[in-house]
Amino acid sequence: MSVTGKTPNTLSTPPTPTDPTALPPLEQAFEWPKEAMRAKKWSEAACRWAILRKAYPGHPAPWFQGAIAHMEAGELDQADQLLIHCRKQFPSHPNSAIQSASFAIYRGDWQTAEEYLKQAREEYPEHVQTWLKSAQAAELRGDHLLADQYYRKAQECDPDRPISYIQHAEQAMRAEQWEIALERWEVVRERFPDVPAGYHRAAEAARMLNRTRYARKLLLAHQYGNEILLDSDETGLTENTPKRQLTGKRFGQFLSLIWTKARFNLRSEVQRNYLSYGWWILEPMLHMIVYYLVFGFLLNHGGKDYPIFLLTGLIPWMWFSKAISGSSNSILAGQDLMLQAGIHSLFFPLVSLLQATIKQIPVFLLLFGFLWLFGYQPDEHWLALLPVILVQAILIVAVGCGVAAIIPFSRDLSYLVPTGLMFLMFMSGIFYDYRNISDNWQELFLLNPLAFLLKSYREILMENIWPDFHTLGLWGTVSFLVCIQLLLAYRRLRYIYPRIVLQ
Amino acid sequence: MEPIISLHDVSISYKRSGNVFRHRRYYEALKSVTFDIFQGETLGILGRNGSGKSTLLRVISGIIRPDKGKIINRGVSVSLLALQAGFDPNLSGRDNAILGGMLQGYSRKEVESRLGEIQEYSELGDFFDEPVRTYSTGMRARLGFSISTMVIPDVLLIDEVLSVGDVEFRKKAERTMISKIQSQQTVILVTHSLHQISHLCDRVVLLENGTSICSDNIQDAISYYKQMK
Repeated sequence: MSVTGKTPNTLSTPPTPTDPTALPPLEQAFEWPKEAMRAKKWSEAACRWAILRKAYPGHPAPWFQGAIAHMEAGELDQADQLLIHCRKQFPSHPNSAIQSASFAIYRGDWQTAEEYLKQAREEYPEHVQTWLKSAQAAELRGDHLLADQYYRKAQECDPDRPISYIQHAEQAMRAEQWEIALERWEVVRERFPDVPAGYHRAAEAARMLNRTRYARKLLLAHQYGNEILLDSDETGLTENTPKRQLTGKRFGQFLSLIWTKARFNLRSEVQRNYLSYGWWILEPMLHMIVYYLVFGFLLNHGGKDYPIFLLTGLIPWMWFSKAISGSSNSILAGQDLMLQAGIHSLFFPLVSLLQATIKQIPVFLLLFGFLWLFGYQPDEHWLALLPVILVQAILIVAVGCGVAAIIPFSRDLSYLVPTGLMFLMFMSGIFYDYRNISDNWQELFLLNPLAFLLKSYREILMENIWPDFHTLGLWGTVSFLVCIQLLLAYRRLRYIYPRIVLQ
Repeated sequence: MEPIISLHDVSISYKRSGNVFRHRRYYEALKSVTFDIFQGETLGILGRNGSGKSTLLRVISGIIRPDKGKIINRGVSVSLLALQAGFDPNLSGRDNAILGGMLQGYSRKEVESRLGEIQEYSELGDFFDEPVRTYSTGMRARLGFSISTMVIPDVLLIDEVLSVGDVEFRKKAERTMISKIQSQQTVILVTHSLHQISHLCDRVVLLENGTSICSDNIQDAISYYKQMK
């Protein structure tokens, strides 16, 4: 369809509402050419307005907008003719003067433009376009001060729409007055936080001023809200956030972390089972029953006190065995924490050992209960339990941390841990009395610290005599020295483990 | 201005394979990487999977030490924003928050005093006291992020975390992260999102097969990165 500047001379009668060919509502119909205008397809838009002029001849928009579209498309004659018609048909419409001025500006005819604008300013001072167009004309003529005044007038006229504020800021952008532009964009953001130009164009101005960081903030503020702009560049950390502790308190915190982690691990463990804490007691009881059936019943070992003999050996042994097997793979298992939170590798075996130890407390109480049931009364010799338990604890730390330290270097060794523990179990005299083996071997047998410890437990609990404090002290000292050595080794291996667990 | 952390010719090799039957082989995760980190900046580290980004972060955070070259930390605390590190699914959100905070170096008291804040930020409501295994993925992410918001080291290392949880929460998490990044906090942001780099970073280090190219001009770096494809 070709576009002509000719205007229809007759007004067609408006269609009745029942007419099946009834026209769509105005807004809907006008959306059609507006779409083309937004896409800056001016000729296409002019065409569409021409069609709508035929459909809605009494409505001013198709006339004025058609003129604008023609003007933008460079079709000056058609624009001119439309505007002439407009001035005739809509003499008191503000756009008659404003668009005519616009057209004059377009052609560089400043005098005509100013005449129309003067008329607009006198007759339609409440109309925002009057001032915007006046400002545009003033700016084009190079009178920035006057333009500034007109923009402010426009803002007074219509403070609720962003257009005059945006154009005011754009004026500064065009004049390359970046600082002023930034201020004006700030006003845009304050009044119309949802208008993208307030952020994007301001960011451009900031970039021109080499304030790249601020430019970035502006763009982010559009996405995430103005609060981002509020954090000043100067403020550092938030004051109410606790800073990390320095070395002095670190050790205490490390212990507290081990304690918390071990307790939470236990809590997590019991959560999984229906019998929860019940297993802590049930498991050693079941072990005892199995061993009693095999050794006490089938092999007819021991006598009526055999269950107690078994328990006094089995319970300390289980403490050792569970602690060692639990901690042996702990460093490998802790790789996430080591790599992500930078947790010291010593943390992992210590947590496992503590966890196993806490679980043994009720089991030991159970042992005392059985002793009482079987008629063993506590006396002053029971005090010796304290050093025996202490030495066993140090031994467990030494062996547990030692095994855990070696396994990451050669993971194959982890297969040997259960076998090693089983060997140790049979070599520690849990089911049998060491006195039953031949005298030549007894001394050698007791060189095994666990065999010695189990012997001490039985001496105290069943025979009510003092254990061999001399040897006990020796094992305590040796284990302690090993612990110190391991501590140093772990310190040296601190940066090695994170790499080993990755490989 | 003096850098707070400097890397000089940092190289790291990992053992790749090797056992009784096969020879050991090594591969170099980082090859003489050199750059400085300055107070208050947001430094982007851009690189594809396997380009050595994670290794580099571990070196900067002091978890591993270089085989060759050196890293100089001029007395600043560095920590990796570790979301969901050490989460125990059988424990409640509250317990995990306590543990998470303590793992990041805070005392139990400090963490406990901020539990309310964490609960509120995570928007978990009563679920905060339910075991984490009952959580949806989004809820887990929310809890993880909320715990990590309490960490304020001198240098914060962020490894691709700006995409956590459901849409609503992601926006909030991003906002928190971004205000952190935009404050005086020194941030090292590892990502392969060019968008994030150009939106957030002052400078960028490109990593390609373990070697680094440092650039002050982000647009140059991004176009170079695109060419490498």
